[in-house]
Amino acid sequence: MSESSFMGVPREEIDWSPRVDFSKCNYCMECVEFCPHKVFEVHEEADQKFVVKNPNNCVVFCRACGKTCGLDAISFPDKSETTAHIKTIRKEAESNE
Amino acid sequence: MSKTYAVLPCNGLDKCAGGVSKEAAVMLAENSDSEIICPVLLHASDARYEKITQEKPLLVIDGCATRCASKLAAEKKLKITEKINITEEAKANGITLGKGLHIGENEMKLAKIIVDKLTQVQESSKTEDSIEFPSKLTYEVYKKDKFVFRLPKEEGFYFNENDVWAYVVGNKARIGVTDFVQKSLSDIMFFTPPAIGNQMEQFEDAGNIESAKAVFEIISPVSGTILAINEKLMEAPELINQNPYEQGWIAEMELSDFENDKELLHTFDGYFEVLKRKVDEFHVKH
Repeated sequence: MSESSFMGVPREEIDWSPRVDFSKCNYCMECVEFCPHKVFEVHEEADQKFVVKNPNNCVVFCRACGKTCGLDAISFPDKSETTAHIKTIRKEAESNE
Repeated sequence: MSKTYAVLPCNGLDKCAGGVSKEAAVMLAENSDSEIICPVLLHASDARYEKITQEKPLLVIDGCATRCASKLAAEKKLKITEKINITEEAKANGITLGKGLHIGENEMKLAKIIVDKLTQVQESSKTEDSIEFPSKLTYEVYKKDKFVFRLPKEEGFYFNENDVWAYVVGNKARIGVTDFVQKSLSDIMFFTPPAIGNQMEQFEDAGNIESAKAVFEIISPVSGTILAINEKLMEAPELINQNPYEQGWIAEMELSDFENDKELLHTFDGYFEVLKRKVDEFHVKH
């Protein structure tokens, strides 16, 4: 279900992906196993055992991986701000046409 | 009178939440006529539990989001009536689970809260559908090999790019998922509804649906208040697979700002293009 755009806005212009607070994380890896969109990448040998490798694979407005985290180490950008940002870009694109 | 279940806990030994799942199952068996299904024995010999699972509604207790107990039930083709996730319940009740494997006072408290909730005979929630919905829909279809994806052409249908539709009449709407969702999930085993009375903004989560493959978060296409849920899905979530636009609808809402919501929604033409693109991409990957 990967998307290269969302409502006509290029995906890379929308800042929506999980933010992991690694100071809270206990590396249970449930978020990593949960996400079917390959947003995370496992680095087994490293101290920090995974990274948000492909933030733009994250489905805009999906917060499902955050619910798997018992420690509340995952947060997302503000939804209303993101919505407003998408609307602004769309308006700009329309006025440039 | 309290409710009784056939209880399938995950009983995970490597996590505290697994211990809580076992404790809750034991309490249920002690406080009601519920019976415990041992996941290990079920895995080895399902015939052992055939009678219990036929006689009693199945309650699955997952410890964490890996959902081993749900997956085991799906694998054994057992129909899940109710479901609890210990990690989510802990969060909802403001209880932090311990890091160790023994369960302590907090964990016992959580198990008790869960058991009390499960054994209460609940009053049935308000579920009447209040929307004037077309008795018959006309569909456009997009075919890919043996798969057929339908999309209703009626005016009044709006779609977000998270594959959720809203059928709007006046200041009310009915919402549901599109064929793309139900086909990519395949057999839907469980529906977690949004709470009636819950107020939500556009793009907030309005419950989820789950198959053996994945969990799909239903991202609301509209802002408003949940008026009713499709109660039939609690018993028969497979209705979503049969037709997610008609008998498989999810919820009804009173709208709070549809004029504004509409800016980020497609009508039929726009979403049909999105659907085709998604089907093509999905097809390449799988």
